[in-house]
Order: sequence, then C-alpha cells, then structure tokens
Amino acid sequence: MRYFFWPLVLIILALRFYFFFNIPQPYNDGDKIRISSRVTSEPIRYQTSQYLKLKGLKIYLPLYPEIHYNDFVVIEGEVAEDSLKKPKLVSFQEDRSFLANLRKSLQMIFQKSLPQPHAALIAGVTIGSKANLGSDFWEALKATGTAHVVVASGMNVTLVAKFIVTILFLFLKRRRAIILASIAIWSYAALAGFDAPIVRASIMGSLAFVAQELGRLNAAVRTLLISSWLMLMLKPEWVFDLGFILSFVATLSLILFDSRVKSKLGFIPSIIREDLSTSLSAQIGVAPILFVTFGQFNILSPVINALVLWTIVPITIIGMIGGILGLIFEPLGKAVLLLSYPLTSWFIWIVQIFS
Amino acid sequence: MSGRFKYSLFFLVLIAASVWLAVFSYPAPKLNIIACNVGQGDAFLVQYKSTQILVDGGPGKSVLDCLSKYMPFWDRRIEVVILTHPQKDHYMGLVGVFQNYKVENFIATPLDASAQEWGVLKSLVGSKGVNVINPNSDMVMRLGLIHLDILWPSSAFLASEGKPPNENRAILSGSASDSALRRVSLYRNGVLGTLTSKKDPNEFSILAILSYKDFNALFTGDIGGPQIDQIISSGKVRDVDYLKVPHHGSKNGLTSKLLEASTPEVAVISAGKNNSYGHPHKEVLDILNSFKIKTVRTDDKGDIELITDGETWFIKSSRDK
Repeated sequence: MRYFFWPLVLIILALRFYFFFNIPQPYNDGDKIRISSRVTSEPIRYQTSQYLKLKGLKIYLPLYPEIHYNDFVVIEGEVAEDSLKKPKLVSFQEDRSFLANLRKSLQMIFQKSLPQPHAALIAGVTIGSKANLGSDFWEALKATGTAHVVVASGMNVTLVAKFIVTILFLFLKRRRAIILASIAIWSYAALAGFDAPIVRASIMGSLAFVAQELGRLNAAVRTLLISSWLMLMLKPEWVFDLGFILSFVATLSLILFDSRVKSKLGFIPSIIREDLSTSLSAQIGVAPILFVTFGQFNILSPVINALVLWTIVPITIIGMIGGILGLIFEPLGKAVLLLSYPLTSWFIWIVQIFS
Repeated sequence: MSGRFKYSLFFLVLIAASVWLAVFSYPAPKLNIIACNVGQGDAFLVQYKSTQILVDGGPGKSVLDCLSKYMPFWDRRIEVVILTHPQKDHYMGLVGVFQNYKVENFIATPLDASAQEWGVLKSLVGSKGVNVINPNSDMVMRLGLIHLDILWPSSAFLASEGKPPNENRAILSGSASDSALRRVSLYRNGVLGTLTSKKDPNEFSILAILSYKDFNALFTGDIGGPQIDQIISSGKVRDVDYLKVPHHGSKNGLTSKLLEASTPEVAVISAGKNNSYGHPHKEVLDILNSFKIKTVRTDDKGDIELITDGETWFIKSSRDK
C-alpha cells in the first residue's frame, strides 16, 4: 500500500489535468460572442484601462465603472486569438455580499489613508490585492525579485502565523497558542473576502504550519502535499497560477529548511534572527520560481529580500488592525495606518534603488 | 532580550519615525504649481502649505501618482477641485481623486456629458457630499492666501445656453455685499450635468486667474479663439506670470491676442508624448517663440514644478538632472 499510494495520487492528478486542458477552444477568430460570467480574479487596473481574463480570453475594458472580483458581468466583443477585441460592457452586477463589501471597504480605507504606491503595497501585502499597484511599481517589484510579497502567497500567511504564535507564546502554552494562531489565520482569510488566493494560502499555510508545530517533519510535508493535491483536483487551472505555486513552494521550503537555516545563523543578533531565517529559507524555493516566471534574475534578489522582508509582518499586522479599526471608526484606522508609512517607505525606497 | 521588550521597542521606534517623517514632509510656505505629467490631458496641482487646488484630473490614474508625490503623505484633503470642462482627458482621473481624497469644493460648469465614466463621476460627487460650485465670470474667490478670479464662462454666455445666472448669487445676497471677494465655501448650491448643449464642450472651459501675493497664473482649459476674443473684450484678462497654454497647444487654442493681453513670462503645455493629435502644434510654438516666452512641455520635461514666494519664482522638472 505504501508504495502504491503516491504514484496513484499522481496518476489521478495527471488524468484530471488531461481531461481538463484537452477541451477544444469553443470559438474561432472573428466570432462575435457574448460572455456572461462571474469575474474569477480581481481585475488589474492600468492608467486608463482595466484588464480581466474570462473564459480564457484577455479583455481590456475602460477604467470605469470599476469591476471587482466576483461581480457578474456581461461583455460582448470579437474573438482574436486569445483576446476579446472591441469589448463592450453590456451590464454588470456588483457582488454585494458581506465579504465582498468587507474586502472593498478595506481597500478603500488603505487608499484613503496613504498615498500611492504605499496604499497599493499595503493592500497587496495584507489582502493580496494587486489591482492598484500601477505598472511602474509592479515592474520595479519584478526586477528586484520582491513581487511575491504582493501575490497573496502562503509565505505571508506563514510569516504572520509564526509571528502571532511567538507573541501568544509569551502569554500562553504552545499548543493553545497554535490553536489561536490558526483561528487568526482564518479570520484573516475571512477579512480578505475569502479571495481564492488567500484561501489556498491559508489552507496550505495553516495545515503545514500546524503539522510542523505539532508533529514531525514528514507529517508536515505530507499534509502539504495532500492539501495541494485536493486543491488541484478541484481547480486544475491553478497549476499555472503564480500565487498557488509560490504558496506551495514557500511553505515547502519553510518546512524543510527553516530549522537548519536558523541553526547556521547563530552569529546574527537574536532580535532579527527569527525573521531572517524565515525569509531566507522561503527564498531557497521561491527564488528559482521567480526567475523562471518573471524572466528577470537579479543576483542581488536574496539581499534585497533580506532587506525588505522584515517589514512584511509589521505591515500586515498594522494593515489588518488599521483596516478593522477603520471599518468601525475611520479616523482611528487612518491614524494606525499612518504608522506603516515608515515601513512602506523603506520597502519602496529599497525596491526603487535596486530596480 | 525579552520578546515583550523587543516588540514594544519596535512599536515606539515606529511611532517616532512616523512623527519625524510627518514633520519633514511639511511643505515650505511657498506656492507650488505642478503641471502633472499625465500624458495627453491636463492636471495641475496648486499647493500652498497643506492647502491644495487641483485643476483637472487628466485621462487616467497617473494624477494619483502626482498627488502622492507632491502632497505630504498625511494630507488626504484637497480643498478645491476645478474641472474646466467635462471631457475625458480632463475628468477621468478625477474619479480616483474623489475616491481616495476628501474633496471639499468642486468647481465645475453645469454642462453634461454622455460618457459612462461621466455618470460614475457625477454619482461619486453626489454621494460624497462635496460642495459643488457652478462658476461664472462675476465670481472672485479666496482660499487662504490664494485668490481665484473666474474669467469664463460669463453669465451672458451661460444664459444664452439656457442657464440663468444663477442660484449662487441668491445665496450670497444675504451675506456681506460690498466686497466681491468671498471665501470659496460661501459659494454653494451648484449642480452637475443639468445643461446639455450642441456646442463643443471646449467653449465652456473655465478660465481663472489664480493669484498669490504678486504672482498670477492663468488657467485656460481647452478654450478656443472666438471665446478668447470675448473674454479679452470683457477686460478681465490682466498681466500674468504663468500661462497654461489652452488645449494642449492646439492651433485652435492659443492666439497672439491672448499673449498680448496676458503677457506671461512662462507658458506651460500639457500634452502626451507622440500624441495622435500632434499637440502641441507648430503654429502655437511659433507664436510663443515670437513673443520670446519661456515655454515648458510636460511631454518633454515630465512633471513641471513652479515654486514662488509671491514675487520671484523658479521652475524645476522631474526630468532635468
């Protein structure tokens, strides 16, 4: 049984991929079509247009009205290879559910409290929204190998969870701290509107994390593999999704390398050792992926990451607390968010120097 | 080092750093006029300390980068936004401005536009409780040390379009009547999008002279020759230091008469690099050249910042090094 289990799992996954990706393209070039669909990921906003992908077609719409994740849209246009030309937004229905509104309100609070690109950075880091990053800043992030911080990945989740456990561990028993941290991760996912990337990052992050803390190394790896397998069975298209890949790889490298890296960092002052080892060990797996996907390899990328990654946890924490307070009483939330300004300034400054 | 101590220390350092950054980002007591490099469109930010006036918003989101760059990071309030006329290259960016900033007063003509985006802007302004002001050439406004003298559209022009001159004055008759100069916020009850016209929206462009001490700047939107003649004959155009060249430097905009009447020392053209209209046109550059007026272009220099103490001024731009 032991020897058959993993090959069997792989074969099932391969079959799932085969049947999923082998569907022929249902339309030809020049076809005039009408797409009625939910928006499956947050559109990217450029200077004068917004970009979204529906039914495998790239669509560029005018900037306003702004379309969001999970809105229902009806769009007409002409198929040209993999994009929809002359698109016209016939109608759209906003997703007015509680969670969608929460996510939008959080984004609004960030944007109202801080200038760009600080607001976009904090929105990217805390709720994984890269909608308003702007192309210049996005290019700079890619060039420095730091783009992964704004692609909601298991790494952010794991970093934050580790931090929460460390804090709780000051007051509570380890096991209780871990349970509370898992609750924190999932409240965080809820706050981010259960956006798909955040959910899978939370699943992977929390499962692997809990397994690592409670059990042995092998148990953690196995939990991660099984949960990723389940997700791919449900959503085969995620296999090409950068957020998914990064979540997987970052979590895996954390499980495998964190304790080893930490033991080698004895010479580093204890005040930053924990953070440094977390970010370095995640980098071991993440760096090659970033190189392949963004085609840009910055030899200094590990250095840049070491310089900026320590800001991610405090930015996320401030973003979450400030965002929640802002929902209750806006001026208070704004005041808290202003505290992240020195951190985001540092992050942006470093990224701009090296890009 | 204990964990509690480490995190408290970090928190305190963060507070101190935020306070210091806020102090250092406080603007000097000088007037800045920034021609934002927004591509083919207009967006001008006027700033004195923490008071801002934004004239138009450009065609997209880049105006937000400009505001982020020049406003202090803690200032999320823009005192006055002026929309010269409802065309996309002037108002599209304002949607983001109204979403992200608290705008107190919005000066715009009642002229309507048909685009979907204009509807978005109108409902946004309505939902935020912004004070809308419909300007006419009888108005002189004050915002701190900055004065705003409206030259166009004239009441007669608006009346000929079926818009009587108007609710604003009725409100004012109750307050002090001897001085024409009033605080911006005293003008009220303006409306958006109640006027439809067959005329080119450019003809409705708001013209205003903005002054601070002895320094005067003329903002012109996309105004054209025939209206310029009318405005000059009204006698309201006076000597200025700074001219925003009308209509991105189109030959349908600037005339030598306007230069004779306003005698600017510097002319600023806001146009996109390699734009499809060929702005700025050679004719306009030639006129400016023949008057020997210093001319700066956003397509060439990026953001163009003029800094003045009210008497002398100098210019720097984001692309000269």
